[in-house]
Amino acid sequence: MTALLLDAVGHAFRRRTALAGLSLEVSPGEVVAMVGLNGAGKTTALRVLTGRLRPASGTARVLGEDPTSMAMRTARRFGHVVGTPLVSPDLTVAENVRVAALLHGLPDRELPAAGAVIDALDLGPWTGAPARTLSLGNAQRLGIACAVVHRPVALVLDEPTSALDPRGVVLVRELVRSLADDGAAVLVSSHHLDEVARVADRVVVVHAGRVVGELEPGGSDLERRFFGMVLDADTADAAGTAA
Amino acid sequence: MSGSLATALRVEALLWRRSTVRRISTPLLVALVPVASVGMTALARSGAVAGPGAAKLADYAVGPLGATHLAVCGQVLSVALLMAGGFALAAAFGQPLADGRAGALFGLATPRGALALARCVVVVGWAAACAVAAVGLTVGLSAAATAAAGEAFGPEAWEGAGRTLVAGLLAAGLAVPFAAVATATRSPLATVGALIGVVALTQLVVVVGAGAWFPYAVPSLWTGTGGPDAAAAVNPAALWLTAAVAPVATTAVVHQWRRLTDV
Repeated sequence: MTALLLDAVGHAFRRRTALAGLSLEVSPGEVVAMVGLNGAGKTTALRVLTGRLRPASGTARVLGEDPTSMAMRTARRFGHVVGTPLVSPDLTVAENVRVAALLHGLPDRELPAAGAVIDALDLGPWTGAPARTLSLGNAQRLGIACAVVHRPVALVLDEPTSALDPRGVVLVRELVRSLADDGAAVLVSSHHLDEVARVADRVVVVHAGRVVGELEPGGSDLERRFFGMVLDADTADAAGTAA
Repeated sequence: MSGSLATALRVEALLWRRSTVRRISTPLLVALVPVASVGMTALARSGAVAGPGAAKLADYAVGPLGATHLAVCGQVLSVALLMAGGFALAAAFGQPLADGRAGALFGLATPRGALALARCVVVVGWAAACAVAAVGLTVGLSAAATAAAGEAFGPEAWEGAGRTLVAGLLAAGLAVPFAAVATATRSPLATVGALIGVVALTQLVVVVGAGAWFPYAVPSLWTGTGGPDAAAAVNPAALWLTAAVAPVATTAVVHQWRRLTDV
């Protein structure tokens, strides 16, 4: 079964088209990276997938359910960081993780074990620090910790390594891979082609609100192939408009 | 109580306990209101204030001391709790929408409606607790002041304490619609603007003589801000109408958060 699905999703903000029939799917145990230029529609697609935006057309499904009306049992298996994470600046790192575990439906008896994600993301030295005092990179790791504290089987991450140092990037990469190896479906958006090549099983290229192709993660010269794909899409659009 | 609501209450109570708004406004409400009540009465009776100020304080210069303390407390508390509750709900509901944190509340096992309900309950519960503490402290200060003056803290003072407490609770409930405003505008500052606008509108409504039926004027009129005649004009139906604002607004806010989109 497809764990994460966007099927022919379309949406516009006033007259500006953000999504133009975007389709993609992520299976259990698979890491799919979505790459594209700024404004390509990546974050809008992720907002649709997390139920934050009802699209004008098309279908979104998380573990087979509409994300805008997800049942509690399904929501317990879903995690995401799109934009601002599930982190309160007034709470400490440990309190934020505990609150996230509660909101994700973990029972009290599992809360102590949930704290393991703090060590997994190397946040131990800041356990008692208020989130508002964290550096940008540590705050980003805390956001990811809060999204995965319940070991979700479907995970959506928007630019998860944008503020991280090289060690943080490796930690997040290992976390994402371990979740996928346990059977989770992971959809990651990123600008960093080299980084996604290391973590993703598939790389889909989004441009002008739709998927314009896929890149082989292991192949060479990823950047050149990415720009080639974007250029081809623009050329085809221009030819279509002229005709 | 459902498991989701219990979880939401637990989380929202922790968030509220840690919030800066609560840390600042709690001592202001609990300590400043009783001190102002006793202090303004003492000032009015001291003869130290002359001119227009004395005219403003004239009502507090006469009558039983304890009952006057509690009347002043009710008048101050009914405005202070509305303002504090309104600010608190503007921050609690508007800020997460303004800074994007509300987006993280989607796709959770704890539904957004339960979180919105819990947030209203926690903030209004805090405001109600502040009202109880402020009235209790005023009673304590007033009992000491009346004893020092050789007066009794009589039944009329206790009746005033009860009225002040009810007015405070009503004022706390009147803040709930500002959670709906914060959700609709997605802006804490716009919500504060709306709060100030409602306070100004209330003044106008009172001036034209319709305050006895306007929920935002009822608590302060009932505690004597407009004089004894205006207080007597507030009947039980108007009090019930005022009390109904909180549950109706809470229902609306929960509905808003359930239907929230484009976050």
